[in-house]
Amino acid sequence: MTRYLRLIRIFTGATISAQLEYRANFLGAVLASLGEVGVALLGIAVLFGQPGTVSVGGYSFHQALLVVGFFMLTEGFISVFVQPNMSKIAEAVRTGSMDFTLLKPIDAQFNVSTRNLNVLRVTDILIGLGLIFYAASFLTVTLGGVLAAGVLYLSALVIVYCIWLALSTTAFWFVKTQNMSELFNGVFGAGRFPVTAFPVPVRAFLTFVVPIAFITTVPAQALTGGLSPLLALASPLVAAVLFVGSRLFWKKAVGSYTSASS
Amino acid sequence: MTPFLRKFRILFSTQFALMTEYRAEIVIWMLSGTLSLIMMLVWMGQAAAAPGGQIRGFSASDFASYFLATWFVGQLLVVWVAWELDFEVRQGTLSPKLLRPMDPMWGHYSGHVAEKIVRFPIMLVLVGLFAWLAGARFSTDWRVYAAVLGLVILGFTVRFLWEYSLGLLAFWTESSTSFQEVVWLVYAALGGLFAPLAFYPQWVQDIAVWTPFPYMLGLPASLIAGKATLEQAGQGALVLLGWLAVFVLVRVWVWRLGLKKYGAVGA
Repeated sequence: MTRYLRLIRIFTGATISAQLEYRANFLGAVLASLGEVGVALLGIAVLFGQPGTVSVGGYSFHQALLVVGFFMLTEGFISVFVQPNMSKIAEAVRTGSMDFTLLKPIDAQFNVSTRNLNVLRVTDILIGLGLIFYAASFLTVTLGGVLAAGVLYLSALVIVYCIWLALSTTAFWFVKTQNMSELFNGVFGAGRFPVTAFPVPVRAFLTFVVPIAFITTVPAQALTGGLSPLLALASPLVAAVLFVGSRLFWKKAVGSYTSASS
Repeated sequence: MTPFLRKFRILFSTQFALMTEYRAEIVIWMLSGTLSLIMMLVWMGQAAAAPGGQIRGFSASDFASYFLATWFVGQLLVVWVAWELDFEVRQGTLSPKLLRPMDPMWGHYSGHVAEKIVRFPIMLVLVGLFAWLAGARFSTDWRVYAAVLGLVILGFTVRFLWEYSLGLLAFWTESSTSFQEVVWLVYAALGGLFAPLAFYPQWVQDIAVWTPFPYMLGLPASLIAGKATLEQAGQGALVLLGWLAVFVLVRVWVWRLGLKKYGAVGA
C-alpha cells in the first residue's frame, strides 16, 4: 500500500513538472473554466430571472447554485484526474505501448488511472468549491449534513471514475473512444440542474440508467438536509457495484489484449 | 464553369466521400450536443409547474417546439474549423496546402458543408422522434422553411468565418481553442440556446440585437416554432449580411498577418 502511495507522489511530481513547461496554456485553461461555469450559471440565472419563479424542481436559487457548485467540482475532478489518464488508454492500445504498462510490477489499472494529471484545470475545482461555500452561506447547513454530503460526494467521484473507466476500457475492442467521452459529457451536462427539474421519465433515466443524479443532486440534497435515507444508501451501493463491475470489465479487457500488431 | 467553381466542386466531392466514412461518428457528435435538449426538458418542467401552465406565453409544448428547433438549427451551425487549424498550424501540415492554387479555407468550408448534408437526414429522423415524444408542433408554411434555410446559410458562413479567424490565432498562441470556448458561450447565450431571447433582461436584449447571434440561432428556431414573422427574418438577414462583410475582412486580415508570422517561424 505504501508503495502505491509513493508511486502516486512520484507520478504527480513528474506530471506537474512536465505541465509547468507550458505556462502559456494556463490562460487557456482559465478561459475554458470560465466558459464551463458561465454555461452552468447562465442556465440557472435565466430560469430564475422569470417573473414569479421562486423554485426550479423544488429548489430555491441558492440550492440550485449548490448543484451548480457540485457540477463544477466534478468537472474539475474529471479534467484534472480522470480525462488526462483515460484518454491515453485508447492511444496506448492503438500504438501497442499498453504492453509496457501491463509488464510493470504494479497493478495496470492503478497505473493507467494515476499516471497523468492536468493541473491547469484546477481552476474548475476552485470555482466549484467557491460556489458551494457561497451557496451554503445562504442556507442552513448542519454538521451532520456536511459529513453526509462529504461521504456521498466521495461515492459520486467513484461513480464518475468507474463510468469513465468502463467507457475507456472499450478501447481494447474499438480503437477510438474519444467519442464515448463526448457522449458522456453530453449526458453529464444534465447534472447542471437538480434532477427534480426534469420530467419524471427523464428523472428515472438519470437516476437508474445513467446515475447522474447521484453525482450532483444527491450531495447537494444531503448538505441541505433534504435527502431521503433510501437515496443516501443507494449512492454508495451504486458506487460499489460500479467499482466491482468496471474492475471485472477491465480485467476481461486486459485478458483479451493481444498487443497492437497481432 | 469557372476554374474556381471546378476546383470547389472537386474539393466538395472528396470531402463528401470523407464525411460519409465518418457517419457513425457524426451521429455521436450530434447526440453529444445536448444542451438545448436539456434546457428544453427543464423549461417544459417549469411551464408544467407554473400557474396557468405557461411562462411568458410559452406552454410546455411551445418550449418543446422552440428548443427542438434550436437543436436542429444549432446542428446545422456546428463549426469545428478552429480545432483543425490549431492542429495544422502546430503540426505544420498547413505548409503543403499553401502550395495549392487555392486558399485552404475552401477545403475546410466544403468539408463542413458536406458534413451537414450527411447529417441532415439523420437529424430529420431524430427531430421527428423527439417532437413526437415531447409534443412539439412546427410551422406548416413552406415560406418559413425557405427563410430558415437562407438564415442558416448566412449564419453558418458568419460563424465559420469568426471561428476561422479564431483558429488562425494558433499562429501566435497555443490557447486559441479556448478563446473559441468563450466565444461559443456568448453565441449560446445571446443566440437563445438557454431560453428564447425575450426571456432575458431588457438590457441584454438591447445589446444582443446588434450582434449576429440572435439571427443565426434564435430567429430561425422561432420561425420554425411559429413564434416569429417573415418580416423579422428579412431584418435578421440584413444584419447577418452586414456581419458577413465584417468577418470576411477580419478573416483576410488575420490570415495575411498570420502567414507572415508562420513563414518567419517555419522557414
